[in-house]
Amino acid sequence: MSEGDLILYIVVATALVFDFTNGFHDTANAVATSISTRAIPPRIAVAYAAVLNFAGAFISLEVAATVAEDVVEAGAITTTIVFAGLIGAITWNLITWYFGLPSSSSHALIGGIVGSTLVAVGWDAILGDGIVGEVLIPAVVAPVVAFAVGAVGITLAYRLVGSLRPGPVSRGFRLGQIISGGMLALAHGTNDAQKTMGVIALALVANGNLAAGADPPLWVIVSAAAAIALGTYSGGWRIIRTMGTRVIKMDPAQGFAAEGAGSAVILASSHFGFPLSTTQVISGGIMGAGAGKRVSAVRWGVAGNIVTAWILTLPAAAAIGGATYGITRLFGTGAVGPVVVTALGVALVALTFARRVRQGVPVPAR
Amino acid sequence: MIALVDTEALGETVLAAIVAGVAVTLVFSIAIMGAARFAEESRGGRPVAAAAFAVVAAAAGVLFVALIVFGLVVMTSK
Repeated sequence: MSEGDLILYIVVATALVFDFTNGFHDTANAVATSISTRAIPPRIAVAYAAVLNFAGAFISLEVAATVAEDVVEAGAITTTIVFAGLIGAITWNLITWYFGLPSSSSHALIGGIVGSTLVAVGWDAILGDGIVGEVLIPAVVAPVVAFAVGAVGITLAYRLVGSLRPGPVSRGFRLGQIISGGMLALAHGTNDAQKTMGVIALALVANGNLAAGADPPLWVIVSAAAAIALGTYSGGWRIIRTMGTRVIKMDPAQGFAAEGAGSAVILASSHFGFPLSTTQVISGGIMGAGAGKRVSAVRWGVAGNIVTAWILTLPAAAAIGGATYGITRLFGTGAVGPVVVTALGVALVALTFARRVRQGVPVPAR
Repeated sequence: MIALVDTEALGETVLAAIVAGVAVTLVFSIAIMGAARFAEESRGGRPVAAAAFAVVAAAAGVLFVALIVFGLVVMTSK
């Protein structure tokens, strides 16, 4: 086994770890509203989301292509650069998960890769047009659209059912949430699992195992789908609580409108290949469904914290990715740097995870 | 000069998301309204009105399922 192959194995394993963290970090996207309105019991909700995330990963490869081709110059990328970018993304995901903040795993991944590429190669390898056109502008537009769709949707819903007896209406929307939550989980799988596929494809191209522009091999698709599904099943209860109860106090109609808005935006974006943040979209949908009922129903302080985390995600992950690349280069260009960073990372993650799990309390079904 | 943004694709995405998102919530709300009013009218002994709301609920339910299937077909067709 060559040193290049060893780094590739480390990169693939790291990418799948990122995918796992993406799953448990973003579980909240799919199930938080369904859990908080008691449409689905918590454990069943995360299992349901895990299965649909797995299925969603097989639906489309448009987003994977964007991540692999439109963010950095694929020809200038090495496996060590991809590795450092992944460490940047994983680290930011764990920091935000630790604080219960629903930040974007997608932007963490893209930021990490951009940061490590910048330090390793320089500005020439950064595809600024792709980042602005395919990532930043959709990142601003998508949550705004989800907010508007959520607000318009809940306004129409209240006009239609507002004068009816609340019991049957709530039961109806809870039933609808099983479907809309499922669509959201499916949409999440199509958008997020593909980002990991794109990164592994980038590493395979860098190591000469895959032609530039080729679709990811089947084993990449299956392993990425499995990792995100396992992560989803693990459940990120802290973020579920923030999304499900702390932004707005949600009724089943609002939950349905938020999930419908999020699913529509994510599915449409995946279709056109925009790798947007599912977290930002569903957060926008939840805020819209809250504001559509009453603007003061949204806890804008919590919403502000979430938006701050969004703004910080790209630069913070880029800084960590760049620093990680710098550390790996201290050990030369071979496999020693990635091995040392991996060992340190595993130790740190184990410590953090164990501490947080001890502190974490699952969201009560109420 | 390379366009930074594929405005056509972005515009189509926004339009599709707005139409689909609002339509799904609207249609499902109509189905719930129809079902709830069907129950009320049936209890009130007004069979014609009850039948009309049952038709509304059924039609909206079918349309809701069609929208979900359409969304999945659009996704898988690319």
